[in-house]
Amino acid sequence: MPGYSEFYFNVDHGYLEGLVRGFKGGILTSADYVNLAQCETLEDLKLHLQTTDYGNFLANETGPLTVSTIDEKLKTKLLTEFHYFRNHAFEPLATFLNFVTYSYMIDNVILLITGTLHQRPIAELVPKCHPLGSFEQMEAVSIASNPTELFNAILVDTPLAAFFQDCLSENDLDEMNIEIMRNKLYKSYLEAFYKFCEKQGGTTAEIMRPILEFEADRRAFIITINSFGTELSKDDREKLYPTCGKLYPEGLHLLANADDYEQVKCVAEYYAEYKAVFEGVGSGTGEKTLEDAFFEHEVKLNVLAFNNQFHFGVFYAYVKLKEQECRNIVWIAECISQRHRTKINNYIPIF
Amino acid sequence: MGSLFRSEEVCLAQLFLHSASAYSCISELGERGLLEFRDLNPNVSPFQRRFVGEVRRCEEMEKTFTFLQQELRAAGRVLGPCPESPRAPAAREALRVQEQSEQLAQELREVSRNRASLRDNLRDLRQYLHVLREGQRFTSLPAPLGSPPRPRALSEREPILDPSLHQHLERKINFVAGVIHPWRVTAFERLLWRACRGYLVASFVEMPEPMEDPVTVRQHPGGRAGTAGESITWVIFLISHWGEQIGQKIRKISDCFHCQVYPYPESEASRTDTITKLHGRIQELSVTLEETEKYLAEVLDKVVLALPTWRVQVQKMKAIYLVLNQCSFDVTKKCLIAEVWCPVQDLTQVQDALRQGSYQSGSSVECFVQRIPTSESPPTLIRTNKFTAGFQSIVDAYGVASYQEVNPGKAP
Repeated sequence: MPGYSEFYFNVDHGYLEGLVRGFKGGILTSADYVNLAQCETLEDLKLHLQTTDYGNFLANETGPLTVSTIDEKLKTKLLTEFHYFRNHAFEPLATFLNFVTYSYMIDNVILLITGTLHQRPIAELVPKCHPLGSFEQMEAVSIASNPTELFNAILVDTPLAAFFQDCLSENDLDEMNIEIMRNKLYKSYLEAFYKFCEKQGGTTAEIMRPILEFEADRRAFIITINSFGTELSKDDREKLYPTCGKLYPEGLHLLANADDYEQVKCVAEYYAEYKAVFEGVGSGTGEKTLEDAFFEHEVKLNVLAFNNQFHFGVFYAYVKLKEQECRNIVWIAECISQRHRTKINNYIPIF
Repeated sequence: MGSLFRSEEVCLAQLFLHSASAYSCISELGERGLLEFRDLNPNVSPFQRRFVGEVRRCEEMEKTFTFLQQELRAAGRVLGPCPESPRAPAAREALRVQEQSEQLAQELREVSRNRASLRDNLRDLRQYLHVLREGQRFTSLPAPLGSPPRPRALSEREPILDPSLHQHLERKINFVAGVIHPWRVTAFERLLWRACRGYLVASFVEMPEPMEDPVTVRQHPGGRAGTAGESITWVIFLISHWGEQIGQKIRKISDCFHCQVYPYPESEASRTDTITKLHGRIQELSVTLEETEKYLAEVLDKVVLALPTWRVQVQKMKAIYLVLNQCSFDVTKKCLIAEVWCPVQDLTQVQDALRQGSYQSGSSVECFVQRIPTSESPPTLIRTNKFTAGFQSIVDAYGVASYQEVNPGKAP
């Protein structure tokens, strides 16, 4: 209800909101990125990051620096911060933060199943999982051979059980079905998250609504474009679209009937923001890809979340922005280490 | 005492330092603590300055010192304060310090690694011993016929299937035995039941003595000298199952929960045999471990002696190079030019220090200081001693006085 959040929010969540805003102040600015792009070696990059909020996070690294070490340490820092938030959170913030982790859990489960399908040993796959989404029974997914078994034996005790209702089937897990399962899980998750935010009401709903709607529509676009040339039928495709976005219901219907990229672009033209997103995309190698354009739009929405107080959206926005920052730093580090500096400025600046 | 204006008179001066004797001159000036240096290279980024290589070397040495100090702290030793204030080392001495510290660090790393692996082995063997001993309770032969009827409560301890009969059955019972973290027991049991229901029987019992957690020990990389992991009362489990496929599933699930699985011999005799062998090995290992710990203590003693002096020396060296980075380098004349704020009273002392520095570095050309006029306002200098420093810092907390502003306390 309007006017509620200002009075009672700080009692339970004031400390954490203050903390997350402090962390947000430490996110790298465009000046930092310019300096990072000027570095010649990874050692210079490390020297530069020492002057930022990251401090001496690479100080105890013995041996030569590699991009994967940097990536790992960046993720560890975000993980520590997130765990601190989660451990100190009361309800309903605790449930909100749990929802943030579910998307990573889904990705981890799918990664492990795909890996098992390709006969990879479990020890090789576990380090590739995203740490925010790890749960106790994660590694046991390799013993399941079809979705029903997967659900009944392993996932039923995890929070992902609620999203599994559509996916139960006796088909064996193969490439196509794994992707379909991933998208169905994600659709249930996104709709559940959307309902949760709506139920919270107030500023949280106001801030999270555009973010989650964009996420849903982005998935719809990506699913459509990726399904061109595969055996996925149009009806099946329509069942995979999350319904909590702006495109529901007419846009989704049009997307389901689209046959190529141009038609998808036409559908986007009906919606002002998506028209702008698709406009910026070029198809040459030097120009922005659709993925980049989507990331940019997401960054814009997440930055807006910090303009309001007393809501949970700041936590979600912080996690996403930090992820984008990791991606940026790793991109710059890769360009430096491979000495291929032409595209070094293709990062997405945040502040 | 009692001047109308706050702050002493401070002037801007230029130091001309010969490049060979620059280091020792700055060292001499640093010991006396007289000057404030201005940064003459503001546009140069930190990693493009002249002496950045030396600064990085100092930082690497500091990294080694931090490692040594962590090891000391982990072993429960306290580092004493530095007895006397050593001067910054010359280049040769610095090299010696670097070599010695790296050698010590290397030795310490090796010994810690050995010790850690010995401890791991010992812990492993002791766990195995416990697993076998506790497992006996579930798989021992039943009491001979004719004994008084046992009360119901003991029925859990009876073997699931009388082992003396199992040769008659077609199916062979296999065992999976191991150790699991107590917090994961319920999830483990539940997952086992869901995945292999009906085809196995699992029993859990707590270990009689608590042991270190290998994960928390491993979390300190480099094998810290004295860390023990958290002491946890582990839970021993023994799973009896029929069939090979179930066995594989059980092993995968136990891998997932990071349990230590040990081979559980089938027959009673081989179990007792393994137990005696384990006893012997544990004895040997304990002796070796003691020797290693003694050697480790010796190495740590050496570190405690040398570390405080080294730290102060390297700190001073780094400070000198950071100051040298601020000077501008005059390539043609082979000398460094530094601009400093100097109190007028101390100009002679500064000259003295420079003379000493050039003498020490053995160069024939003397460095000198020259006062230059300036229209800028110098920084404020208020001399304090141990007593007045406290009061001055309280006054400064409200705002540091600007140079030569009128002293309100002295106004008539």
